[in-house]
Amino acid sequence: MAVSSHIFGGGKQPRLGAAPVATPQVNATAPPVILPFSFIMSGLLALCTGVAWLVVRPELVAAYHYNQSIIAVTHLFVLGWICSVVMGAMYQLVPVALETHLYSPRLAWCQFVLHCVGFIGMVWTFHTWNMKQVGHFGSILALGVGLFVFNLVQTLRRVPKWNVIASAVAAALTWISFGVLAGLSIAAAKSFNDPDSASLSGDRTSLLLGALKAMAAWVARFDPISTMHAHAHLGVLGCFIMLIVGVSYKLVPMFTLSEIQNRARAVSSIALLNLGLAASFLAVLLRWRGKIACTLIVVAGLALYGLELTAILRTRKRRSFDWGIRLFLTGVTMLLPLSVLGVILSWPGLPLNALTGQLENLYGFLALIGVITPAIIGMLYKIIPFLVWFKSYSRQIGRARVPALADMYSASGQMLGFWAYLLGLSVTSVAIVATSTAAIRLGCALLALSLLTLLLNVGLMLNHFLKPKLKPVSPMVGAKPAACL
Amino acid sequence: MKVTEEIVLESLREVIDPEIGCNIVDLGLVYSVVIAGASVDVTMTLTTPGCPMHETICWGVKEALLNLEGVEEAEIELVWDPPWHPSMMTEVGRAATGVRL
Repeated sequence: MAVSSHIFGGGKQPRLGAAPVATPQVNATAPPVILPFSFIMSGLLALCTGVAWLVVRPELVAAYHYNQSIIAVTHLFVLGWICSVVMGAMYQLVPVALETHLYSPRLAWCQFVLHCVGFIGMVWTFHTWNMKQVGHFGSILALGVGLFVFNLVQTLRRVPKWNVIASAVAAALTWISFGVLAGLSIAAAKSFNDPDSASLSGDRTSLLLGALKAMAAWVARFDPISTMHAHAHLGVLGCFIMLIVGVSYKLVPMFTLSEIQNRARAVSSIALLNLGLAASFLAVLLRWRGKIACTLIVVAGLALYGLELTAILRTRKRRSFDWGIRLFLTGVTMLLPLSVLGVILSWPGLPLNALTGQLENLYGFLALIGVITPAIIGMLYKIIPFLVWFKSYSRQIGRARVPALADMYSASGQMLGFWAYLLGLSVTSVAIVATSTAAIRLGCALLALSLLTLLLNVGLMLNHFLKPKLKPVSPMVGAKPAACL
Repeated sequence: MKVTEEIVLESLREVIDPEIGCNIVDLGLVYSVVIAGASVDVTMTLTTPGCPMHETICWGVKEALLNLEGVEEAEIELVWDPPWHPSMMTEVGRAATGVRL
C-alpha cells in the first residue's frame, strides 16, 4: 500500500484540497559553461586594461572626447568589456530565462573568435588612427555581431511563450545591429575621405567598393560629431540599457523572491524606450532643436521602469540585498543622474563651450562606468558562481554536501569593492567636470582597487574548479553505506 | 529497512537551493512524498519558473532518494501550481535565509 503525505515545509498550505498540477517539463539547457566563461574573461581583461589606461592617461577624459585615444578607450570599454560580457551572459541567460535552447553553440564559438579579433584590432587602429583598418577590423566584428544576432533570433523563435523580457531582448538585438551598421558607415565615410585610400575609390569595377563609396558619401553629409553621438546612442542606450531594463524584469524578482507587479507598466517602459531611442537617434543625427522632446520620451520610459522596479523590490520576500544585487541596483539608480544630464545636454540653445564638452564626457562616463558597469559586475556575482557551481557541483548535489553560491567568494571583499567603486565613481565624475587630471587619476585608481577585489573574488570562485569543497552528507538512518562517504 | 517519510525528508534536507542557501525541505519546495515499496515519488516545485538550477535540483533529489537503503526507484514531478510562497517555508528556513512572509 502506498503511503502518501502532503508537505509544505511545515508552513501553510495555500490551497487546501487542491492537488498539485504538473507542468510540462521544461528542458532549459544552456550551452557548456566554457562558452560564456570565455566571453566573460575576455571582458574582464578589457575592463582592467581600460581602467589602467585611464589611470595612466587621465587627461583623456579631461579634454573634449573627439580624439583618437578616447575613441579607442571608449571602444575598449564598449566592445571589449561590455559587449563581451553581455554576449557571453546572453548565450547563457537567454535560453534559461526564456525557457528554451540556444540555437547553435558552434556559431557562438565562431562569433567569439571574430569578436576578439575585431575589437582588439579596432581599439589598436583607433589608437593609431588608421580608419581604413578600423573599417576592416570593424567588418570582422560586424560579421561576428551578425552571427550573434542570428543565433539569438533563432533562439527567440523557439520561445514557448513571448513576454516582456523576450521583447526587450529582441529590441536590444535590433539596436545593436543598427549601432554596428552606423559604426561601419562612419568608418567607411572617414576611410574614403582619407587621401591614402584614393586608389581604392578609383576602382569602379568593384560593386562592393562602389556601394561603400556611395554610403561613405551619404554619411559624410552629416556632421561627424553628431554622427558619432547618434552611433553611441544606438549602441549604449539602445542595446545595453534596454537589456538592463528587460533582463532586470526577470532577474531582480528571481533573486529577491518577488514578481512583476504591473505587466502593462513594464511593457510600456520598453515601448517608450524604443520610441524615444528611435526619435533621439534622428534628433541627434540631424541636430534637431526638438531633441529635448525625444529625450523626455526616453526619461518617461526609464521613470516607468523605476516605478516598476521599486514596486518589485517593495514586495520582495528576501529582506536583505547581497552585495551583488546592491551593485546592480546602484547602477540602475545611476540612471537618475544620467537622465538629468541627458535632459541638460538636450536643452535647446545650450552653449557649446568647454563646460558643455566636459558634461558630454561625464554623460558618456556615467553611462558606461556609472550605470552599465556596476550593473554588469553585480550580475557577474550571480553568473560566475553559478557557472562554476554548475560545472563543479551539479552532479554532486544529493550525494554530498555542496556549498551555496554565496559561500564561493568573500562578502567582505565584495563590500570593499562596492565602496571603492562608489567612491571612485564619485571622485572621477566631479574631476571630469573640473578637468582635474590628478583627481581623475585618483578616482580611476579607486575604481582599479574595486576591480582588484572583483578579480580576487573571481579567483576564489574559479578555485572551486580545481579544489571542489565537498563534505559528506550527514550519516542518516536508512542511508546506503556509500552515501555517507 | 522500511523507508519512511521521515527518512525521505531527512535525506532531502541534504539537497540545497544554492542561490538561496537553504535545503529544499525547509524552503517548502517539497509538496508530497508517496512511498510504494521500493519506489518513492516526490512532487515538488521551485521558487520561480525558469530557475536556472531546475534540472540540477531535480537531479539532486533523485540522487538523494536513490542513496537511501531500500529505495530502488525514484520519480520527481516538478509542478508550478500551487506556486511557491514563503508561507510554505519552515521557521528554521525563514530564520536561516531572512525570507519574510
